[in-house]
Amino acid sequence: MYPQEFDELLSKYADVIVHIGLSIRKDQILSIRGILEDAPLIRKVTASAYKAGAKYVDVLWNDEPSSRLRFEHADPESITYLPDWIFQRFEEYMKNGEAELAIASTDPDLFTGIDSDLLAKSRKARMLKFEPLRKYDNISNWCVVASAAPSWAKKVFPGIPTEEAQDKLWKAIFKACRIDTPDPVAAWQSHTDRLTKYKDYLNNKCYTALHYQALGTDLTIGLPEKQVWSGAQESFKNGITCTVNIPTEEVFTAPHKDKVNGYVKATLPLNLGGTLIEDFTVTFENGRAVQLTAKKGESDLRKLIEMDENASRLGEAALVRDSSPIKQSGILFYNTLFDENASCHIAFGNAYRTSIVGGADMTDEEFATAGGNKSLVHTDFMIGSDKMDIDGIKVDGTHEPVMRNGEWAIDV
Amino acid sequence: MTTQTHQELLQKYAEAIVKVGLNIRAGQRLIINNATAQGIPPAGRALVHAVTKAAYAAGARYVQPIWGDEEMLRIRLQNAPADSFNEYPKFHVNAVLDMIKNGDALLSIYANDPDAFKGMDPERVAALQRTQLENNKEIGANISRNAINWCVVASASQAWAAKIFPDLQPEEAEEKLWQAIFETTRATLPDPVAAWGEHIKNLRKRGDYLHAKKYSALHYKGPGTDLTLGLPQGHKWISAQALAENGVIFTANMPTEEVFTLPDRHRADGTVTATFPLSYGGSLIEDFSATFENGRIVKVTAKKNEALLQKLVDTDEGSTRLGEIALVPASSPISKRGHLFYNTLFDENASCHLAIGRAYRFTLIGGEELTDEEFISAGGNVSLNHVDFMIGSPQMDIDGVNADGTHEPVMRNGEWAIDV
Repeated sequence: MYPQEFDELLSKYADVIVHIGLSIRKDQILSIRGILEDAPLIRKVTASAYKAGAKYVDVLWNDEPSSRLRFEHADPESITYLPDWIFQRFEEYMKNGEAELAIASTDPDLFTGIDSDLLAKSRKARMLKFEPLRKYDNISNWCVVASAAPSWAKKVFPGIPTEEAQDKLWKAIFKACRIDTPDPVAAWQSHTDRLTKYKDYLNNKCYTALHYQALGTDLTIGLPEKQVWSGAQESFKNGITCTVNIPTEEVFTAPHKDKVNGYVKATLPLNLGGTLIEDFTVTFENGRAVQLTAKKGESDLRKLIEMDENASRLGEAALVRDSSPIKQSGILFYNTLFDENASCHIAFGNAYRTSIVGGADMTDEEFATAGGNKSLVHTDFMIGSDKMDIDGIKVDGTHEPVMRNGEWAIDV
Repeated sequence: MTTQTHQELLQKYAEAIVKVGLNIRAGQRLIINNATAQGIPPAGRALVHAVTKAAYAAGARYVQPIWGDEEMLRIRLQNAPADSFNEYPKFHVNAVLDMIKNGDALLSIYANDPDAFKGMDPERVAALQRTQLENNKEIGANISRNAINWCVVASASQAWAAKIFPDLQPEEAEEKLWQAIFETTRATLPDPVAAWGEHIKNLRKRGDYLHAKKYSALHYKGPGTDLTLGLPQGHKWISAQALAENGVIFTANMPTEEVFTLPDRHRADGTVTATFPLSYGGSLIEDFSATFENGRIVKVTAKKNEALLQKLVDTDEGSTRLGEIALVPASSPISKRGHLFYNTLFDENASCHLAIGRAYRFTLIGGEELTDEEFISAGGNVSLNHVDFMIGSPQMDIDGVNADGTHEPVMRNGEWAIDV
């Protein structure tokens, strides 16, 4: 891209993030977290947010090499330490109903070669520290987007110069996020309208279970009686409705934590915050993963699902058509935000409170009784393909097609 | 002799920062920040990484860099609502205060663009800076009493280097600035840590001499300058090294060439003319003079940005008075480089200087224990500001004035005139 073309697209992307993704309200504070390489996007978003009336934009910058240096040089005993102020920062902004933007541009190989025990210890400490923030999930508007950081771009497009790889990744991001259309904001509105129709259809059906079938997969996911299908847009207690992921192609709900049976084969590698898990299959019995095999990263994945009692159970089941623009790009992004929108997926660990009717106001026990899973972990992995068939199972045990060959099989 | 690579020099510099500047103790946490840019500018990354490694090697428990971006400040100045400049990333302040309370270490890395706020609305810049000062007040108070081991150093950046070497290509200018930083911080010497030991000893001898003299005032005479500054009873001459309340002996500035104390806030009389421009709030104040009566600035004039200088002086009552007097020979290694750095850390070590605003508590015997009121009545100054400006030159003579009114030479033609 020519610099001017890139600059214009980046501005449009920033506007979509501010108006569709966050739906910023006048006088809100916008808190952003990203890595130093995200600066071009963060600056654009900041200018756009101020123009939309934000009163202050506060960025929590992270430096990936500094994070790695800690693992390489600090006393391993000290690795679980995390300062309080970062937690307090998030808590105050979330509690006060301020807007939060996360930029997901992690280098998929950031922690290659770092001891997996040490990584797991640190990951657990981080999850424990930030777990109390989950209760604010539905209070204020938040959004997750991506920026083509150099290390990530090199992973997605190896073997070409970094700048070229970044250029290609930016193009892919702009395409997946409808930024290359004449009116991106209008394109997003019609897209979210369509996703909303699928969501409404599934909510009306209220299936007792979904049955997934594909090569290497035969899995039945029971659904809570009070399931809520979500997608595209979310409404928050601060009165704002917005699109929390850009891009997004999914509609999703929570599986019943005790009613998952069968086996499922991942169709894309999983980037576990800088460690790649490849070619893996998981077998479930009564909701729990009882068997796990992976060609690469098996021990890292095992540590993840053993992190707490419910990390081996599922917290999300999401449907994405195989013809989604992200899948059609043919690019493996090594980034959940994109890869999860290329494919049907499920998540180990925590279920969103909003996936069960009244879930936000339930105690942990009530949520569990309703079938919702609670865990420190929430890690998506991809299972969809153009060979995937999914049936909805009704209360009377009859099956109806939901997806065939990876495409929607329902009329909305 | 083999040439040292940039990476080797950076590593030696980082080691000197950790061992001499901070003197990190095993088990300490280290926070790295830059209050004026609201975080370390990304240009400081290579140095942050080198310092982080050296700090962990020295036994640090946790290193927390706080990052910032001057471009974000400009975007804010241009786009944010006019009444929103009281907002501040106060969580950074909490992070630093938490470290201070726990007796940890603080490093400030300067890499700022001296022209960061060029062309911005001065009202907004002033509002931004006022908020910054207010939010950093408690940190400033702790630093002023040396609550912990702290240190200020610099990293080159292209924007800063371009200001110093406007005729060079950006990369060339940046490398030249790195070279200047490495040389003035003794990182190019075979054993920087030992060289610093020697340098610190020499500075201390001058401080000890002045301390023993207990002058009642200093008298400055140079072109455009005829100024008498009273020294309060109990004033302490400080150089390079200090002992922090957490028990760590540290060196607060790298480079440092100065021996300094506090003036009596009530006893400054005469006129002083700056010998270098003052880089303040992203703008340059040039060719300026200040006239004092009974410690107060009663008049300022400047050829450029006089209004900004007046704003600085008007910040609060303490900004109309002085808080530091520092002696630096005109032949200092920084002065000898023959160019401005547009940065106090360097420029103040090229020249005798004064500071408008807050006095360091540790420059008065027992000052750390005093309330603001007690400190003020002892002659100390309290303010949100502490802004150094340069007054030295090879034409400067300084006398020490004894209690009986007799004069003794302290500096002649900008050089030390005392035997130690």
